[in-house]
Order: sequence, then structure tokens, then C-alpha cells
Amino acid sequence: MAPEANLTTDPPAGNAPSSHSEKVSELKRGAPWHVVFREDRFFMLLSVLIGVSSGLAVVSFRFAIDWSRLYLLGTGSVLTPARLLLAPTLTGLVIAALVIHFFPKARGSGVNQTKAALYIYNGHIPFRTAIGKFITAALAIGSGHSLGPEDPSLQIGACLASVLGRKMRLSRDRMRLIAPVGAAAGLAAAFNAPISAVLFVIEEVIGRWTAGILGSVVLSAVSSVVVMRWFLGSESLFRIPAVELRRPSELLAYAILGTVGGLASVGFAGGIAILRPFCKRLPLWTQYFQPAIAGLMIGIIAVMGAPQVMGAGYEYIDQAMHGQFTWEFLAILAGLKIIATLLSFTSGTPGGMFAPTLFIGAMLGAAVGGAQHAVVPHLTGSAGTYALVGMGVLFAGFLRAPMTSVFMVLEVSGNYSIIVPVIVANTFAYVISRALQPTAIFDLLTRQDGLELPSMEEQREEGILHVEDAMQQPRDSVLDAEETLDDALRKADSSVLENMLVRMTPGGWSIVSRQNLRILLSEGKGATKLASLLPPDLIPYLHPDHPLDTALRYVDRWPLVPVVNRADFRQLEGIITQQDVLKRYREFGEG
Amino acid sequence: MVDSYGERVASPGRFNLRFYLRQQPVILTIVSVLLVFAFLFVTGLSGIYYSQRRALGARWFNRGSIDLKNSQFSAAETEFRSALLYSRDDFAYQLNLAEALVGMKHTEEASSYLLNLWEREPDNGRVNLELGRIAAQDGKIREARRYYHDAVYAAWPVNEEQKRREARTELIELLLRVNDRAQAEAELIALSEGAGNDPEQQEKFGKLFLHVQDYERALAAYRTSLKSNQHNAECLSGAGYAAFQLGRYTQAQDYFRAALALDPKDTVSVDLLRTSELVVRMDPFRREIPSAERARIVKSAFGIAGDRLRACDTPKSPPNVAGSARTMNLTDEWAAFKPTVTQQSLRANPDLVDSTMDLVFRIERQTAVLCGTPGGENLALLLIAKLHEGN
Repeated sequence: MAPEANLTTDPPAGNAPSSHSEKVSELKRGAPWHVVFREDRFFMLLSVLIGVSSGLAVVSFRFAIDWSRLYLLGTGSVLTPARLLLAPTLTGLVIAALVIHFFPKARGSGVNQTKAALYIYNGHIPFRTAIGKFITAALAIGSGHSLGPEDPSLQIGACLASVLGRKMRLSRDRMRLIAPVGAAAGLAAAFNAPISAVLFVIEEVIGRWTAGILGSVVLSAVSSVVVMRWFLGSESLFRIPAVELRRPSELLAYAILGTVGGLASVGFAGGIAILRPFCKRLPLWTQYFQPAIAGLMIGIIAVMGAPQVMGAGYEYIDQAMHGQFTWEFLAILAGLKIIATLLSFTSGTPGGMFAPTLFIGAMLGAAVGGAQHAVVPHLTGSAGTYALVGMGVLFAGFLRAPMTSVFMVLEVSGNYSIIVPVIVANTFAYVISRALQPTAIFDLLTRQDGLELPSMEEQREEGILHVEDAMQQPRDSVLDAEETLDDALRKADSSVLENMLVRMTPGGWSIVSRQNLRILLSEGKGATKLASLLPPDLIPYLHPDHPLDTALRYVDRWPLVPVVNRADFRQLEGIITQQDVLKRYREFGEG
Repeated sequence: MVDSYGERVASPGRFNLRFYLRQQPVILTIVSVLLVFAFLFVTGLSGIYYSQRRALGARWFNRGSIDLKNSQFSAAETEFRSALLYSRDDFAYQLNLAEALVGMKHTEEASSYLLNLWEREPDNGRVNLELGRIAAQDGKIREARRYYHDAVYAAWPVNEEQKRREARTELIELLLRVNDRAQAEAELIALSEGAGNDPEQQEKFGKLFLHVQDYERALAAYRTSLKSNQHNAECLSGAGYAAFQLGRYTQAQDYFRAALALDPKDTVSVDLLRTSELVVRMDPFRREIPSAERARIVKSAFGIAGDRLRACDTPKSPPNVAGSARTMNLTDEWAAFKPTVTQQSLRANPDLVDSTMDLVFRIERQTAVLCGTPGGENLALLLIAKLHEGN
């Protein structure tokens, strides 16, 4: 790491170093660029570069997927059975060989790998992983495996960020944060939705909001989206139909959609929970064939009449939104897509879960909407509205990213009138999914891989202890600075506490022990006011709503810390000691 | 040599490239330069990618267009969908897909595409016309009229006048279907103005004018068409019908005869020709007929009316008290007239001709109301009544 900038060590003007070693020394001491490139500012600048590079990588990745689709599956919208069967099967064999021999870390979706980089590997992701992910995921998605490009884009972005961070020799703290910055850039470019990408990374990867990291994440996401739009245009993933909600009573229909979506999410996650460990337990040699077998089965589904399940399937989401399928067929497609995605994902084929989740959600949403229309024809929501809400529902229920799920739908649709149905449906899906499948999908995958990464969902819902949970009532622990020493000692003698708080005038708090009061009395200062006897330094105070962690900073330095009212700092709400804090933590740990 | 930070530094007087390359600003500059190259590389890739997609899109679109022309809607639909894979928002691809979908009767999906296109180009003639057709099919007449109107005044990239005329023609057909004759006639007049003398076009106008019961304009249109082609049986028949409706029975006869010479199986023309001949023959008010002949015609008409009156007054007729009373009066009147209606008296007294024919016309009208439109000679008398006395 480069030394911090030091303004005082700049060489005097006009005294230029004469030799190279002097130049070097000057660099070490703190050359002008160290002022400009202070690490926090530098990190911001680097975030833009990460965004640009991720944007370029994601654009190339999109080209690669489209090209592999063209050459493997053909150019038309109706594909021949031979291609439908052979392309995913043979490509599956190639992918398996590549993953086993060259890119073992390219397996899976990429979200957990990015989290692992943050929490385990200090932000380190090998460059080879990005290359492997790029090639294998492009082949897999292009050949028709039921996977999406978003999670791989996220991982590619994180990997590029990690490489840049290493080259820039960032500090360990910054290195840890750089992978999420790249992840946001990759995801934003893949989704063409910077807000959702930022939220997802904050919600699922980093798990906390801090101003420093938020700025970098936003910068990288925005710059990657700018690059992506430069090349691919600004059109959204889907043509969004008109959305309207005329009667609030129709929210009931969306609640039903949320319930169905929640159950589907549980089924989908449950499938992964069972199938993935099963596939992993199979003999090692079977890994060469697992993606091929998955590909063959997906090909069979396609030949049987549902080629829509192949690949990311965005064009079919678009068609579903425009009422091009019957609700019965939409329901079948949702079911088949769950099966196809389970096959592709659990076989270890590299590729993402976002696109399949959106596909299943859209189909399910449009199917539920269509079925409800058949029963209650006066419902005003179109198939497109239900499909849009359905996407959010699966996002909330399966990926368990409730905030992202709402903003994703808003960002994709660009229509705020859909917010109420989305919130209603997503809440139902989230609650049902949580109740029936306690472990979120990303946590499940992590644990299956033998890692113990922090669960963002658990962190979000972890109870936070506050000062008010540990403080004692003030009782008879307060003296007034205007009292004489004699009065103060009398009060102190009647108290059970050894240390007494002193309310200073006009404000602030001090502390004095009974022993100190006695010493001062022995010096003959009994008639003197306390204010003139106490040291001028005041002690810190806390408020009842402060996190208990904050109290820890003070209780080891002061035996007693005042807890005061936020509106009136002279009003004591309680007192807190180190013992109080430790006791509360102990109780909390014991449950 | 190691400095105080524990890093290797160059010996004095020796340039240490490795050291400089490890400085953040230098790395930043290098990375920026690399990104510029990467940007150029991706720009190149993007050029190849888009040109390939354009070519593929155009290829599928051309195939689809051929199939659409040949009304192979299903194949066209697949091909346009394939084209759209390469250019999702291409206006022409979407419009053609919508037309294929309309051909396949998938109107809901077609509407969805067309409405999107309409939002992009609200004054596009084809889009408005297709939306008008779908709305008309779905019975949404107000919407259909609006779209058709927009199509009439919209921009058409090629053959603008012709396309507008076609759109207006469809609008007129719609208006006729919903029985809005006044509006249809107004549109039709606008359509025919400045339409030129194209015989087919004029024949079409003739038919439409017949539908809106504007027989004068219908006849004029047919005549214009016949100027170019006198051997068009349909046109002759139409002109005959228009002339017949206008009460120009002699002219109608000529047209019907010419039509039947070309198409003897045209039963409508046969019937109308027969009626026209009867009207001409039985009309006592024709000029330049001898008084004896006129008296004979009037006497014959009086007899025919009497027969009709008796036939209509039989118990088979529906019971109608007021009607029966009226026919009773007419029967009495007819009976009272009968002795006076002789060949001689009719020749001698022209006023008697008028009063007799007046009675005949009243009988025919009354019996037409009570017993339905007659045929043959009674119909001829009824038409003569209309011709000379108006409705």
C-alpha cells in the first residue's frame, strides 16, 4: 500500500530533486499525486474504470451468447429437432471438460463466489475465473441450457474489479470492497437496471449501507450501464404493456399471485436443495456427463413442444407480457422452466439463476392472471401486468431479495402505478417462502459448498441491542455542579454507588468518586462549589436508542456513562456501566 | 537497494522502470489506455455483430414478405418472428408480423403489436388501417371508424392516393354494414371526387352508390365505366338497376337487354327487364300513343286492379279491420266506377282516364300495404304510380 499523503513533507519549491534516487525518495515521501489520489478519492475513480471495463465485458458477453446461439441452435425462431437435442447435449460435454480441467471456479451462478471473495479471500478472484465464466456460460446459455447471463456478468464484473484492485495494490479493506463494486457494475450492465443492481449488491452481497461503498457501487453501476447502452441501446429488456389498477379490490388477485409465487419459489428452492447435493455426491466421472444429460433432457422438453424453456428466454417473457400464450400453456411453461433450470443448475453448468427466475415469475404471473380473468372477467390487469408482478414475486420468494424485487419491477417497467400490486404480491411470496423454506437460496448454496458466509437475510433480521436494553435507572446517582462539596458528599454517602455523575452548568456531565470528594474535603474545601473543584473535561453521554456497541467505546474508560434524553441533554434517562453492557450481551447470547 | 519503506528502489543514476510501473497513477494511465483499446475492440465487435443481425433480420423479413403476399400467414408469422429476433423494435417487421397474425385470426396479439406501433407512429396509414380492420371485426365500430378515418388522412409511404382510397372504401363498407347510409354516402362522394375514370374503380363506386341508394351517382359511375368497356355484364346490370330505380324504365330496358345478351343467366336482370317492359307497356301516360290504345291500357289496368282488390280482400288475407274498411271503400268505388270505364268513354273523356288511373293507383298502393308488394302487372302499375305521383 502506498503511504498516506503528507502535505508537510512536500519538498520546497525550486528545490527539485537532482537524481533518480531523490525522485524515488520524493515519491515515497508523498508526491503531489498522492494528494490528488488519496485512496478514498482514488477508489471512486477506480470504480468508474471498473464500471467501464465491466460494461465492455458484459457487452462482449452478450455478443458471445448471441453468437453461440446462432451457430449452435440456428438463426430462426423455429428450431430443428436435431439441433434442439444435439446442441445442448454436445455443448454440455465440452462445458464439463472445460470446467473440470481449466475453470473449476466457473461452476455455479457467481453470486456466492463474489460473496466468498468478499468474506473469505479478501476480495481476490482469479482472472481465470472471469475467462472461464465468460466462455462456459456463453456456450451454455447459447446452446439452450436453462440459465441466464446476469449472475455470470456479476461475477465477471467482480473478477475484473478484483484484478484492477490487485494491480493498483489497494489496501486490504478496499480490496474486500472492490468485488461488490465490480459485481454491481456487471449486474447493472446485464440488467440495464442500475438501481436494482446497486440494491441487490447492497442487499445480498455486502449486507450493509455505508456512504463510502455506496458511492463507489453507484458510480461503477452507472458507468457500466452507460457503456452498455452505448453499444446495445437503452431499450429495456421487455416491451412493457400499459399497466393499470382501477379497483383496490383487485389487490386480492395480486395477493393470490403472491401466494402461488411463494409456493412455486419453495418448490424451486426445494428442488435445488435436494438435487444439487445428489448430483455432487455422484462419482467424479459422472461430472463429465451431467451437463450433457441435463442438456439432452432440456432438448427433449423443447422437441416435445416447449422450446421456450431454452436459454434465458427473454423474448418469451416479452411474448407472455403481450398475451401471446394461453394461461394453461403459461402455467405449463412455468413448470417446465423450473425443471429445466433445476437440471441445468444442479448439473454444475455455469450460468445464472436470475433470468430463469424472471421467466418462471413472468409465466406464472401471466398464467395466474389469465386464470383469474377466466373466473372473474371484469379484472382490469392485463397479462403483461400480471407477468411483471410475477417476476417480482419470484425474485422476492426465490432469491429472497425483497427490496430489489420491488425496485427491479419498477425500474424495468418504468411505471410507478404498479408499485402497490408489486408490494402486496411480493410480501405474500416472501412471507410464504420464509415460512416454508427457512434458508434463503444463496445461503443454501453456500452451505452445500461447505462455506459459512454471513447470511444477509439473517443479518437483516438479527435483533440489535440498544443502550436502553442495558442501562440502569438513574436512582440517586446525580450531583449538581452548583452544590457545595459538603452537600455533595452528604448525598454521595447516602448513595450505594461509588461514583457519582455531576450535572454541569450550563450543560454537560462530569463524574466524581466518593473517595475524591473525601480527599477534597480533607483539603478544607467543604464550602466550595463542586463546579470549581472538578476538572474542565466533560465525559461523553449516550442516548437510549444508541446501539449497545456504541456504549462499549466508553464504558471501559469511564466507570459510569450518563444516558440522557435527546431533547434535553440535562435530563438523565439512565446510567450504564461496563458490567451492565456485558451482562446484557451475555443474556442475549444465551437467548 | 532498499528504502525506508522496505521496498526496492533503483540505484542512483539508474532508471527503474519496474518501480514506476507500480505507481498507482502510472497503472491508472495504463489501464485507461487499455480501456480505450478495449473500447475500440468492442466497437469493432459491435459493428460485426449488428451488421450480421441486420443481414439475418432482412433475410427472414424478405422470406416472410413473400409468404405474406401469398397468404401463407403461418409461415410468414414464423419468419417475421425470426426477423424480430434480430431487431426487436423494427417497425416494418412488427407491422408485417401483425398483418400475418391478422391473417391467422390472432387478432388479440396483432392488436397488441399494432397498438405499440400506433404509439410510435400514430399517423401511420397501415397501422391505422389494420387497427380499424381489427376493431371492425371485433364489433368496436366507434374505434374502427376512428382508425379508418386516421388511415384515410394518414401518411402512406408509397401510392398514397390509392392507399387512402382503399382505406376510405373499407370505411364505407363498414358504414354500410352498420347501416349508416348518410355517412357512407358522404364518404363515397368524397371518394369518387377526382378519382379519375378507371373503369374498375368506377364500377366499384357504382356498386357502392347503389348500396347507399344514390342511384343518380351510381348510374353516372356505371356509365363512366361502360365508356371504357361496354361488354361488362355486371356493369350493365348495375346501370340497369340504377336506371330502374330512377324510373327510367326505357333506359333500364336497354341496359338489361345488353346485360342479358352477355349473361343470359342473370335472373335478377331478367326479372327487372320484364318489369321494366311491363311498366313501359302499361303506362297510359306515355306520350305519342293513340287515344284508343290509351283507353285500352286504362281499361286493362282497371281490370287488373279490380282483380288485385278481390284477391287481397279474400279471407286468406290477415284480419285487419281498418284495412278491410278501406278496401271495402275501394271495392265500392271500383264497383261504382266499373260501368263508366268503357273504351268509348275513356276515349271521349280524358278526365276519366286520370280519375280511373287515380283509383287504380290507390288500389295498388293500398293492397301493397295490406297484402305485400305484388309482382308482375300489379308491380308495374305500382311503379307507374310512383313514377307519376311520387311516393
